[in-house]
Parts: sequence; structure tokens; C-alpha cells
Amino acid sequence: MKYEELGLNVGLEIHVQLNTKHKLFCKCLTTQKEKEPISVIVRKLHPVYSELGELDRAAQFEYLRNRTFYYQVFKNESCLVELDEEPPHEINPEALESALQIALLFNCKIPDEIHVMRKTVIDGSNTSGFQRTMIVGMNGWFEYKNKKIPIKTICLEEDAAAIVKEENGKVFYRLNRLGIPLIEISTGILKNFSPKEVEEIAFNIWLICKSTNKIKEELGSVRQDINVSIEKGVRVEIKGVQRLGLISKVIENEIERQLKLIKEGKKVEEETRAAKEDGTTCFTRPLPGAARMYPETDIPPIKIESSYLRKLKKALPQPLTKKLKILKTNYNLSDDLANQLILSKYLPIFEKITKTYKIEPKIVANFFVNTLKDLKRRNELNEENLKEEHFLKLFEMFTKEEIVKEAFPPIISKISFNPEKNLEEIVDELNLRILKKEEIEKIVKQTIEENKELPLNKLIGIVISKVRGRADPKLVAELVKKFKEA
Amino acid sequence: MNLENILKKEKIKVGDWIEVRKEKEIFKGILMPKTKLSHPSTLILKLENGYNIGIEVDEKTQIKLLRRREIGIKKEEIKLKKEEGKPTVSILGCGGTVASKVEYVTGAVYPAFTPTDLIQSFPRLEKIANIESEVLFNLFSEDLNVEHWKIIAKACVKNIKKNVDGIVLMHGTDTMHFTSAALSFMLQNLPIPIVLVGAQRSSDRGSSDNEMNLISAVLTAAKSEIAEVTVCMHGSINDDYCFVHQGTKVRKMHTSRRDAFKSINVLPYAKVWFIEEKIEYLRENFKKRDKQRKVKVDLKMNPRVGLIWIHPNINPKFIESLSKFYDGIVIAGTGLGHVPTNPFKDKLAKSIVPALKSLIDSGIPVVIAPQTIFGRINLNVYTSGRILKEIGVIGDYCDWLPEVALVKLMWVLGHTKNMKKIKEMMLTNIAGEISERSEVE
Repeated sequence: MKYEELGLNVGLEIHVQLNTKHKLFCKCLTTQKEKEPISVIVRKLHPVYSELGELDRAAQFEYLRNRTFYYQVFKNESCLVELDEEPPHEINPEALESALQIALLFNCKIPDEIHVMRKTVIDGSNTSGFQRTMIVGMNGWFEYKNKKIPIKTICLEEDAAAIVKEENGKVFYRLNRLGIPLIEISTGILKNFSPKEVEEIAFNIWLICKSTNKIKEELGSVRQDINVSIEKGVRVEIKGVQRLGLISKVIENEIERQLKLIKEGKKVEEETRAAKEDGTTCFTRPLPGAARMYPETDIPPIKIESSYLRKLKKALPQPLTKKLKILKTNYNLSDDLANQLILSKYLPIFEKITKTYKIEPKIVANFFVNTLKDLKRRNELNEENLKEEHFLKLFEMFTKEEIVKEAFPPIISKISFNPEKNLEEIVDELNLRILKKEEIEKIVKQTIEENKELPLNKLIGIVISKVRGRADPKLVAELVKKFKEA
Repeated sequence: MNLENILKKEKIKVGDWIEVRKEKEIFKGILMPKTKLSHPSTLILKLENGYNIGIEVDEKTQIKLLRRREIGIKKEEIKLKKEEGKPTVSILGCGGTVASKVEYVTGAVYPAFTPTDLIQSFPRLEKIANIESEVLFNLFSEDLNVEHWKIIAKACVKNIKKNVDGIVLMHGTDTMHFTSAALSFMLQNLPIPIVLVGAQRSSDRGSSDNEMNLISAVLTAAKSEIAEVTVCMHGSINDDYCFVHQGTKVRKMHTSRRDAFKSINVLPYAKVWFIEEKIEYLRENFKKRDKQRKVKVDLKMNPRVGLIWIHPNINPKFIESLSKFYDGIVIAGTGLGHVPTNPFKDKLAKSIVPALKSLIDSGIPVVIAPQTIFGRINLNVYTSGRILKEIGVIGDYCDWLPEVALVKLMWVLGHTKNMKKIKEMMLTNIAGEISERSEVE
């Protein structure tokens, strides 16, 4: 599809949970670990008298009259603040600092004074009937493919309660998600990018957030809303795309849906749609008007001192997007390997090893990305016992040519179950010290002698199985060839 | 030039669309009113996306008027019809924003109080009763005193004479139980219900307890049989029912929960189921609604009464000095009704008995109430109590709340200065403030 011809415009809203210990406005834990609620609270919401038109208000009355909200309370993870039974406490300084760091990484202007707002929400996902939210940065940008991607606003807000189920007007919510600090990053209009590029832009945004090391990474901690429009169609908002990898598919599907409606001569409506797990969407409601917001008077405005900002700027981490570029160019890693390594928790150890030893980065990257994953999949790894020193020793022995890379899996597997031993001991126990060239030659000659009638490749196979993990297979092949032909 | 002068010079008013240029940034939005907590040189701007931000204004900042804007909500008056056969309820405003309107453009919150306002906010009210309303004053409840109680009492009498079927008083929650106690003594022998109501959550939010409390209060005023002064507030932290509490037996027991009000030492009169609009009586010992009954109005009160909380190291000199300020004292005693009396002549302990005795001897009555809140005073179990009884402290066997004892002493001292008469009136149950039996819950 030619996206330029379609006039594809996309806007992204990326939501990332912060990995703070406490929630944004109280001391509840952000773990979401508890399975069973300790209590369930029943609530109704009602429309608030405002300058809203009569019709809008009547619709709200109708909607809310038929709904009762059931809020599940979890031990240590929800308190009277989430129940709308106690005013918010002071803003979590850890969350505010992380949010400001992220805003600075996107080159945003930070307001001199931050004002917390109440954004009216009537679907029950906030017990109070509003979500607390504040702008921490605006008018920012970051670079992608040598273009400036505009960042309109970065907001710090309370995550909403998670819906559990809805049946016959009874809506059940989990309160442990309510109040977890959430960063919302809204891009400006992304013009003339392909869906795949938009997905990559979203991934880059997420990576920049991750650079702070303060975001949650488990499933459901990142959520995207996507605004899609094409020239002949209208703007449609797609909410709740759960994975970054779904973005291009969702956009493609939406373009197709709009094109199909146009072709059939039907009207494309401006509306909000919800994303499903397979990348298709379904209608939820007509596009809402401007957000109804007013000041949160229970929290005083927060003055951001310029001296504090300077200090933050100085200590800003290197954005992972830059690191990713370095992995691909300086370290010569393939896109696939680099994209996986940048997300790996072993990235710092990878950097240390490649700095300490003269070693091909691909070997190290491959070990951390693939070898460990394979061992884990086969249940041959007790990952929590592995320490940095184990990896350093492993690659030290490798650079000193004491072991071959084929010996990595058995060594690392065994040490992970026997952390009290040292790595050298394990190597000896497994008898995986590298064989001297003469020893290999001896085995090669003997094998050829015993199997005179066998062809070359069979002979190589036999030798390799005899020296498995103790010699470089390439060297074995060379030697067999040499002596067979001699 | 400071911010105020710049705005004056540019003729910019709150609510106008303006443009602010600072360094390389351009911000456009609505100028918002200053809040006290915001920095003086900071301008608050509401951006197009609805968010407010603060921009510090310095010499180089440029501010320009883009266009003027009218703020405020247009009144849409609707004609309310009085329906025959439907009870009439008067809603009187004594402060506390039980109802308000939000203007999202600026974020301003206005109190809403005309009958139209109330019915637009809570359409269900119209189905329950014909609504009349009047604002008496608009104050935080912690600022109310005896004079305000009199204004409220007089307004109630006026409405009773207008032959309404019930009265609802919207009131800030902090001292609602003082007002309910005061009205219980000032307005006895009521023909109709007088119901105080408030909200623990601000009325601008969809989750506010205002709707359920107000509708339950109006239901109680319009339809219940309880011709007493009562407080109607959330019964639990769920939005299911309200309790109708006896005005002299209720206390705010939590700083923020919506079920902060609890009946002390008695059951509430009733439960009002909000959705079902059903009143479930929990007690029978109240005056039944009877429009023929004549209200006994007695507003005399002496405000010079103090309430003192007993604590370790309380200074006897402080107790003595109270005579300068007060004509009567209520002490919230520890346990069954105790104060430091030092019967064992301990060297480290200090008795306040001489101080209390000097107060009583100079004609200042001293009344005791339990600081445990729950339970009954008994001055016969421990030496400390017996000593207080000996010197003439009033309150033995009373299960009153400290706040109610205070209000009652004000009312009694409005009628007599005679110590014997004071004691007799104090110990007579006038408005259900003393219960004879402590019921098993």
C-alpha cells in the first residue's frame, strides 16, 4: 500500500507504568501481586451539574443510572485513598522525578509550576469520578531516521482501576492498579510514515522511557491509544492496544476498514474503537468531546526550581535509542540481535564483558540473547543463582582459550545449580577444558586409523562427538581433512 | 514590572484567551485565577487540552491578549410545579457545598442552591417532594457558633409555621453534631422532622456522597415518622444506605470517610435505602410526625462554656484560669470520668481537684463527660471519681457525649445561674441526650 497517497496521519498516546515502590498519591504498593480481594465496595456515580448541554447530561444520567460499580480491595495494594475515602497524600517524589527525567529525555519544556488536574471519567474506572493528571513536559521531540518526531505533551497521571468483568450493569474493578504512576506520552501528528515505521517510533518512545530504568515492563504495563486518519476517511481513536508489536497491524486494519466502507459508499464515523488481541478493533462509543478538566484543589501546585532541573539534566541517563544505534553500528550486531539485547537485563554485563575482553561482540550477544533463553526453555537453568562474576569468568576463560564457546551451555547450566562452586571447578568436573592441538590430532589420527573405509564427513562427526565441548568444531574439520588427505 | 501590573497594562482579565511568549516557547490558553498556593510571579494558564500549567513571568516574558471570553454558567431557569398530594420539604443552606456546579472551561466550582439548581443536580428530588430552598448563610461549619444556631432555629420555626412537611439543613460536616444537639434543646416537641445533611466528598465529583445523603435526607424529611432533630449521612463506605442518627447521640468519628458519623451508645433511628427509597426503622422511641403538635421554642443560651480534655500533666493553674473566660466548664474525663486527683500523695503527681473545687465554689458548674466517647460516666467505682462527686462535679451515670454536654450546659446556663437548678436541669433528660439503659448491640 502507498501510505503517502492515502494521506495517512497517525497520533500516538503511549502509556507506561512507572516502577516506583509506592503509588502516586499514597503509600500503597504498586506490585499487583495479590490474587484474592479482602473486600468489595459497592458504589454509584452520578453526573455532575456543569455547563454540559442538557442532552449530554441526560445521556450521562441514563448511563450511570443503570450501572453499579464493585471495587475489589487488595491487601497492601489499596487503601482509603483509592476508595475515595481519604484525600490524596503528597505526590510521590520518586514518580515525579522519573517523569521529569523522561520529559527531559524527550527534550521537553518543563512547566515552571506543575498543576494537578481532575479529568472527569464516568466509566467507574476511577472511584472518585475523575483521574488525577498533570503536564510535566511539553513541546518536545526526539530523532528517528534523521527526522524530528514531535512530542506534544508528557503527563504524569494515576493509572485507572482495571476492569475485571461487566454483567447486567454490574461492573467489577480491581483497585490495586488504581493510582499506580502512569506516564502518558502524546506525539504530534505523524505524517507520511508507514504503519511499520509508526510501530518503530512507538518502540523508540518506549525505549527512551526505559532508559531511566524506572518503568514497569510486565504485560499490561504498557498501553497505546492510536489516532488514525486517512485523507478520504475520518479520525478514529483506537484505545488499549496492549502490545507495541500490534501497532502496525492495527493501523493497517483500520485503513482497510475505512477504505472498505468508502468503497461500499458507506459513511465512516468519527468514533472510539477498542483494540482486540488479534489487531482488529470493535466500536465502543462516539468520539468524546474535549476532556472535562478542572483543578485538583487537594494538592498544592508544585514549583519546579531551575537548580533542580539543572541537576536532573546533568544526571540524565543515555537514551537506549542511542545505545541501540551503537549496538548496530559499532558492535556490528544484526538488527534482530541488537533489538533483543537492548531489552535484555544482561545489557550492562554485555557492555562490561565487551569492554574488558577482546572478544567478538556477536558471540557475547548471542550468549545472552539465545543461549540463556534456550537453557531456560529446557529447564536447564536456575537463573537467579547466576552472578556477574560467573559471566566474567566464563568469557575470561574463553578469551584465554581455555574453553570453547560450545562449552558455554553445560558450564553455565551446572554452575547455576551449584552456585557454591567456582567456575573453574565446574569446567574440570565436566571435563570441558580445551584440548591441545596435539591431543586433537592424536584423536583424529586414531579415528582415521580405526575407520579407514568411512567418508570425510562421517569421520568429522565421530571426532566431534569425541571432543564435544573441548574443541572448536571448525578446527576439528580442518584437521580431519588434513590427515585424511595426507 | 510584576505580573499584576503587566496584566493591568495589557487589560487582561481572568478568563481571557492570551498568548505567552517566554524564551523560545509560545503558550496559548485561558488566563486562570491565581490560587493562594501558587507562586506570586507565576501565571496560571489553561491550555487548549484542558490542562493548567504555571509559567513564571520575568522581564522578557511577553503576554498578549488574543480575545475576551465570558465566563460563568448561563442560568437555565425551569418552572417548578407544585404538585398537590406530594409532601413539601424546605431545604435550608447553612454552608457546606452539598451541591455545586462545575464550569469545566475554567474549572470554577460554584455553589448551587436554588430549587432549580438542586433539581437539575439531583432530578430524583422532584419525584420525592415539592422543594423549597433558602440560603441562611454560607460558612465553614467550624466557624459556626451559638448565634448561627439561633438563626437556624428561627428559620426552622418559620418553615414549621409555613406548614411544610419536613426541613432539611445542608451543613458542613465538621460541627454538624454540635448544631444538631443545639437544635434538639432549642426546638423541642417538634411536629415534623428536621434533618441535617452534609457531604464528606466535594460535590464537584461524580462519586460525591452528596447525592445519596441529600436524597436520603429529603426522603426522611418528607416521608419518615421521625419528628426529631436528626443527622442523615452514609451508613457505610458503600453507596447503599444512610443512617438517620438521633441529633444528641451522634458524632463525627472520622476525618474523611463517608460513614464518618456514628450513633454513640444507641442505635440510629433508621436506615434509608437509597436506591429502593425505603425507610427501615431501627428504633421506636421517637416522637411521631404530627402537624398538630406545637413546637416549644427556647433559644436562650449562654455561650461562655468551655470543654477541656483531661491529659497527663494538665496544669492546675490552667484549670483555675478558666474562671476568667467561662461561666461553665465541661471536662472530658478519662475512663469512667476521672481527672488527676493524687489520692496517694505521690511526689511526682499533681492533682487538679483544688482548682476544680475553686471553680465550683465560685459558682462555675463543672460537668463531666467521657473522653472514651463510648460508655457511661460512673463516679463511684474509683477514688478519683468519688472525689469529683464530693466536690460537686455534675454528670454521674450520664452517657452523654462531651460535645452534647457542652451544648446542654450552654442552654441550661441560658436559663439559670442557680447551682442547684443547674444540676437538676443538667441531670434531667431533655432531648434524649442521656439514655437510661446501655443497650447490648
